[in-house]
Amino acid sequence: MRLAYWMYEGTAHHGVGRVMNSMRNVHAVFHAPQGDDYVNTIFTMLERTPSFPSMTTSVVSGTDLARGTIRLPETLRQVEEKLHPELIVVIASCSTILLQENLEVAAASAHLDADVLVYDANPYRMQENGAAEGLFSELVRRYAAPQPLTEQPSVNILGPASLGFHVRHDLTSLRRMLNTLGVRVNVVAPWGATVDDLRRLPAAWLNIAPYRELGARAADYLEEQFGTPALREAPLGVQPTLRWLNALVDTLNEIGVRRNGPVIRMPHLTAFSLDGMSAPSSVPWFARTADMESYAGKSAFIFGDATHTVGMTKFLRDELGMPIAGAGTYLLKEANWVREQLKGYVSDDQFLSTDEFQVTAARIAELTPELICGTQMERHTARKYDLNCMVIAPPTHIENHLLSYRPFLGFDGADTIADEVYTTCTLGMEKHLIDLFGDAGLEHDDGLAPTADRQIAVAADAEVAVSVAEAVVDGQSSTVDPTWSQEAESMLKKVPFFVRGKAKGNVEKYARDHGIALITADVLLTAKENIGA
Amino acid sequence: MPPKVQFIREDGLYHSFCGLVSVGWLYQKIKDSFFLILGTHTCAHLLQNTLGVMIFARPRFAVSLLEEGDLSSSQPNIADQIAEIKREHNPSVIFLLSSCTPEVMKVEFEGLAHALSTPELPVLFVPASGLDYTFAQSEDSVLQALLPFCPVAPPEDKRVVFLGSVNDVVADDFAMEAARLGIPVAGFLPAPHFSDLPPIGPGTIIAPLQPFLPKVASQLKNERDATVLSSLFPFGPDGCRAFWEDLAAEFDIKVDLSEREAAAWERIKDHTDLLRGKKVFFASDILMELPLARFLRAAGAEIIECSTPAINRRFHARELAALDGVRLVEQANFDRQLRDIATYQPDLIISNMITTNPLVGRGLVAKWGTEFAFMPIHGWSGVNVLASTFTKAMRRHALLDPLSLDPVWTTGLMPSAPGDVIPLQEL
Repeated sequence: MRLAYWMYEGTAHHGVGRVMNSMRNVHAVFHAPQGDDYVNTIFTMLERTPSFPSMTTSVVSGTDLARGTIRLPETLRQVEEKLHPELIVVIASCSTILLQENLEVAAASAHLDADVLVYDANPYRMQENGAAEGLFSELVRRYAAPQPLTEQPSVNILGPASLGFHVRHDLTSLRRMLNTLGVRVNVVAPWGATVDDLRRLPAAWLNIAPYRELGARAADYLEEQFGTPALREAPLGVQPTLRWLNALVDTLNEIGVRRNGPVIRMPHLTAFSLDGMSAPSSVPWFARTADMESYAGKSAFIFGDATHTVGMTKFLRDELGMPIAGAGTYLLKEANWVREQLKGYVSDDQFLSTDEFQVTAARIAELTPELICGTQMERHTARKYDLNCMVIAPPTHIENHLLSYRPFLGFDGADTIADEVYTTCTLGMEKHLIDLFGDAGLEHDDGLAPTADRQIAVAADAEVAVSVAEAVVDGQSSTVDPTWSQEAESMLKKVPFFVRGKAKGNVEKYARDHGIALITADVLLTAKENIGA
Repeated sequence: MPPKVQFIREDGLYHSFCGLVSVGWLYQKIKDSFFLILGTHTCAHLLQNTLGVMIFARPRFAVSLLEEGDLSSSQPNIADQIAEIKREHNPSVIFLLSSCTPEVMKVEFEGLAHALSTPELPVLFVPASGLDYTFAQSEDSVLQALLPFCPVAPPEDKRVVFLGSVNDVVADDFAMEAARLGIPVAGFLPAPHFSDLPPIGPGTIIAPLQPFLPKVASQLKNERDATVLSSLFPFGPDGCRAFWEDLAAEFDIKVDLSEREAAAWERIKDHTDLLRGKKVFFASDILMELPLARFLRAAGAEIIECSTPAINRRFHARELAALDGVRLVEQANFDRQLRDIATYQPDLIISNMITTNPLVGRGLVAKWGTEFAFMPIHGWSGVNVLASTFTKAMRRHALLDPLSLDPVWTTGLMPSAPGDVIPLQEL
């Protein structure tokens, strides 16, 4: 037993929900107490679903347990009557699994027309990704049927699922590239797939399975069983995308030659751009511009799932030239794979494998990297230490579910990521000047600053006000605010304006903690030494 | 005997959360507390996903995580974790919350809490499992656990204790309002600190601020011989007037707040003008539905249905009487509600976090009930917030162009939707 404050991965039943809410005309039924219904919220709120997710909790109450009632057959009948799904997946919860009920028998007693699969996911051994991957590959195994390949070259895209990271955008980016090559998409699964689509999987010439977390095992099965080759790399970054495209074309052409099919030719790369006549990505040139020179010294720490940690680490070093301070994953079962992939990028000392966010936070505090790529928890940690962070992996916050096209994969993805890195980090030359000379003409209290800058200054003041208010509410420190001597105040004005509020707050806290009523230049100096303000 | 008001009880197949969610506000309310949930990964995942609970610097709640190896032992050993909490957080009290898995394992919580308790650091058992408790019902359990630590007041100590967690600003409002009316205040349960618990005895008048605390109210009556005020809950001009007049009467103070009530209605006229004649359907789970519906009805709205997870004939007697003639449902069936919503086409649905977006996706105006649980809607000063929380969604939807009613604008958003398009009236 251990104390847990927060978890990176979701539960097994959340993983099942992700697969079922991706597919059409299927339904998940949770044999669980009412509280387990919370997983629905994650879909309706984060994905803002305009309809009800395909999952129902067949409520188990304390009274039911006392009476020996099992509502599952009745719930199954209601679900069938209302929605007529082709397939219903039943799963027990962490509590009901201990009851050792025979859910197969209970489900069979409902006499449904729908296919019913009682998915045996032990929530004490499986988490979100394991359960999702296990269920998806079980469904592929169950339904994929032998059949001839399509006439024209075609691929399946395996792995995109509800609540996947930027997954709709990735899918668009992949589709755009496949369109440009003239390669058809046979099936995307589980995203938007029906049971019939799963039956049609073996008709594709090639499987694309870019996510290590979901779809890889189904690709393995289809390769073993039907001989379908698989492209397992994630085209994240310009170089990986070029290699991915070449591998895709080569593999399809090998099959095409055997079948006397059409030969796919790699078009001029401009064909992959949005307007069809420009560079497919701006990253290679952008990375070489003088502007980006300052990134040579900026170090990055990357922490997330397996796919994005590996992809982002390589991208930052290989394509933006940033030094890597460390990298790691919370997916302990994938840790070896990630470590292997990142050989030459991070040493064993720099590699971190943990599912406890406090350990990651401690590493971040120790490294104080210029850029953190992480989950919403690292974003939170970064705010605490006033460091720069971009979110590159689940679990996500609602603010990571934006409307505009922001893929991570493909050429389009490389541009999105580079922009995000650029706007997340404090800018180069400007920062040098501000650091060196203090204000760089951005003073907000000289009465001459342009409006936009004044707004920033006001915002900074508002932050101070908030933190002061918090300190007062906190009640820990005295509510008497120390005053500033004229000399100390003029020293404070030399601190760059965008960190001045914070510095002021820190010094005042120091003064309060030490019972100092008047902040003199001397106090300011001592405080700066003590708190590194 | 309370009047026999009719309500329907259904099978409870509605969307909701379990009792653990009250941790989200109670750990902030009781500032020197720690909330320890004996539970699983599911409990931790629930907390971090439902209330947007994030880990700020030093969270004062955690899950003592049952892993596979712990399932065989009927009495888990959490002494090390208690020691860790003591070391890291130094709380004055630890609440030990039950969850579904240890309930199924038949963990003997009372004994466990007792064994871990010391005079310096009490560990109090709080039943909160989703098998038996929903949403704010666990606050009732927390307050019952606190009751033995309230000093016993002598019979001549005739003062009011306000019951139920409200934020400190709202609490100040109630204390000030009581002082204005000449009502002596003994304190609040819960108090902001474990050591500030109010004295309660036979002279105490318990004034319930929250409608989800029937068990602790009857315990206060039975164990301390306190008088539980039977009135409306202090929501809305009508509720506040009744609450304060009835409370004053307990102290033999006669006040007439009719002018104050009229002035409060006048202040929210903009809102009540909009609410008048509107059809409202309560399908939420926050256990505040009865007084909210009563206020809306007094404001001129037509309540199509008021569903709530639990109705207590005695504790809710006055609210039930005020709602006479309204269709009241306990433990609703959500599918049946959807069919009725399709039939009656309400102007506003009070829903929960799970159902709001899908209901809006049907072209309806829905508002999270949860927001009422986290807004300062109590008392005279809460009247405007209360009224505007109802009208906000209606006004905003009225401002938006009707484009969203065309399914093209939700196409492709949800992979499980048939043909990518969600038919509007698929209910």
